[in-house]
Amino acid sequence: MIDLQTWIDWAGGPLFRAALAFMLLGLARRAALNAWEIVRAWRRAGDKQLPWRAVLRATLRWLFPLGQVGNRALFSATTLLFHAAVILVPLFLAGHVALWQPWLGIAWPVMPSALATALTVAAVVAALGLVIQRAASRATRALSRLEDYALPIVVGLPFLTGLLVMHPGWNPFSYQWTMLAHVLSADLLLVLFPLTKLSHMVLLPATQLVSELAWHFPPDAGSRVAAALRKEGEPI
Amino acid sequence: MAESGRKYSFHVEPKALQVSDRPRKFLEAFAAVLRHGNYQLALDTYARLSTRCGRCASTCQLYATTQQDEDLPCHRSELLLRVYRRYFTRWGVMRARLFGGFTLTDEYLDQMAEASYRCTACRRCKAACPMGMDHGLVTRLARWLLAEIGLIPKALVVSVRQQLAGVGNTSGIPLPALKDTCQFLEEELQEMFGVPIPFPFDVQQAEYVFFPAVSDYLLEADTLMGNAAVMHASGASWTIGTGNYDGINYGLFYSDRMLEQIVQNVAAEVRRLRGRKVLVGECGHATRAAWYLNTFAGPDAPPVVNCLQYAHQMLTAGRLRLRDQRIEEPVAYHDPCNIARGGRITEEPREILKTICRNYVEMTPNRTENYCCGGGGGTVSIDEIRGFRTGSLGKCKADQIRASGAKIVVSPCANCKKQLREVCADNGLPDVQIVGLHDLLLKVIEVK
Ligand code: HEM
Repeated sequence: MIDLQTWIDWAGGPLFRAALAFMLLGLARRAALNAWEIVRAWRRAGDKQLPWRAVLRATLRWLFPLGQVGNRALFSATTLLFHAAVILVPLFLAGHVALWQPWLGIAWPVMPSALATALTVAAVVAALGLVIQRAASRATRALSRLEDYALPIVVGLPFLTGLLVMHPGWNPFSYQWTMLAHVLSADLLLVLFPLTKLSHMVLLPATQLVSELAWHFPPDAGSRVAAALRKEGEPI
Repeated sequence: MAESGRKYSFHVEPKALQVSDRPRKFLEAFAAVLRHGNYQLALDTYARLSTRCGRCASTCQLYATTQQDEDLPCHRSELLLRVYRRYFTRWGVMRARLFGGFTLTDEYLDQMAEASYRCTACRRCKAACPMGMDHGLVTRLARWLLAEIGLIPKALVVSVRQQLAGVGNTSGIPLPALKDTCQFLEEELQEMFGVPIPFPFDVQQAEYVFFPAVSDYLLEADTLMGNAAVMHASGASWTIGTGNYDGINYGLFYSDRMLEQIVQNVAAEVRRLRGRKVLVGECGHATRAAWYLNTFAGPDAPPVVNCLQYAHQMLTAGRLRLRDQRIEEPVAYHDPCNIARGGRITEEPREILKTICRNYVEMTPNRTENYCCGGGGGTVSIDEIRGFRTGSLGKCKADQIRASGAKIVVSPCANCKKQLREVCADNGLPDVQIVGLHDLLLKVIEVK
């Protein structure tokens, strides 16, 4: 007979801390490398004038994509709902804040539990919605790879299991198994952050700048490439 | 060894079919470009973040018409990103060692080449990507790498060869022929206005050195006469350099190597004449290419002025007088992607047109969200694909023109003009006139 509680404590304790550290350090490393590469590209660029306003406008437009609902309206609404839920619930759920508090020594306001429940349901529904819409539209079906379908599901799992933990009445499984699944899936999600496109959390603020910089060529890149390929004197 | 029975819809030179060992050469070129260029950061970001959400689908005028999966912008970018992930990221290299999987083949390269020249690099999809991916950038980079293994439309490479190693310009116009043409245009102007309006050659220290798309000298007499009339009427000091009189730069469409050389030749001619500014004629890509003077010609690169900006400035400053006459037919303005997508030149031409036309109509979408004429990215010069250009690529534009009710479409770009004439001819709009903005200015300007 395995002692589930030991496993739960382990997955929610040392493993969770390791996963969280992996996520935070991994994302920090990504962000730092990204910043470093941006500076390097800018220093190499022949033309250092950037259209800062346009870049900033495009960046803000996608960080707060409220005005973007027109194109693929249902899908946009789904991602908005999805993001609101997945960002707010882990941070402001009473049970989570209680976990953080002894550790960080600070507390912050918690959300009412009815709202937490509603948002958690929203997260699960939206995650499913993302997958279904991806499969339903011809363009996304043609583009998508396995990970594109899997990721919303992986994100949805801790929310689904969390919901069952909070509402034992709805839960057909044992509390402890559900709790273990909740903690493990949360750990998995944390680990995936730096490794997958979930890293958009830290990279997104710079993507517009990155795209703009790519058009700012180093002045001698062309001739250096020609030299590297030994094509300098070659007729066109 | 690439088999020589290959055929490309965009038509290559025979020697392109003899290149051997293409995947290796492609990867070598890719490695060199990543090392010396500024693309790696973008590719790395795109390879990580590409979320394949399908938003670009609804912005692409090609996909809107063909509904083929291969024409999705994100799909086209994925062709290159896949190679990048596999060969240039640690994880990709490791995964290939452990599990095998994707390998770059000749067939794959052919597929990439076909995809690259189905796109006009209009970059309309850029604004729709939540992750900020610039599919036009990726397509252009793919074209560069493919060009390094000989996969490039004959039409493009022949023009560049003419310009850099032949007569000195993309249309192969020798200097005596150019002078003849200009003399003829001067006579026309004399007849029109009753005063001599010159096309000045090799004036030292002129304020503006003029670089139109050289094809204008063959095809767009009215545009050039408009240019000369505006310069003359506004009292500008301007000149055409006999050493280099071509603003066209197909390097912008497929190769930083060529872009660099052609831009430097422009800078050299301005230096030779000790001119102060580059005046670009009615041409979208020539203007965007000239903006690269800041990149390639060092800190004292001459400033670049597009002739639309110039005319607008003179008109608002009161240095251009107009006759009482106005254009009566409904006129619409087509935004050339290369000057409009980044929002750099959109309002000046509109303000001019609203001044000189009684019935200005707007096509929607417009400005930074305009539809491409369908011939962008150099595809317009590939005559063999006319049906594809005016059909699959041009249909949206044709519908847009029809819906606007315009009888005259002003399109201040040599490439767009050629393409739009063909679009109108092939889509049942034979009575729509495609003209340059200076063609209309020529009709209303007052010259003393
Ligand atoms: C912190 C700020 C964040 C921002 C600004 C952000 C922004 C975005 C944007 C703009 C997209 C593209 C959505 C679209 O196609 O409409 C996206 C997609 C996505 N985001 Fe985020 N995100 C953030 C955090 C997160 C977090 C914390 C998670 C997960 C726990 C997450 C999971 C996802 C997933 C799974 C997708 C792909 C949706 C799909 O296409 O199926 N994001 N995000």
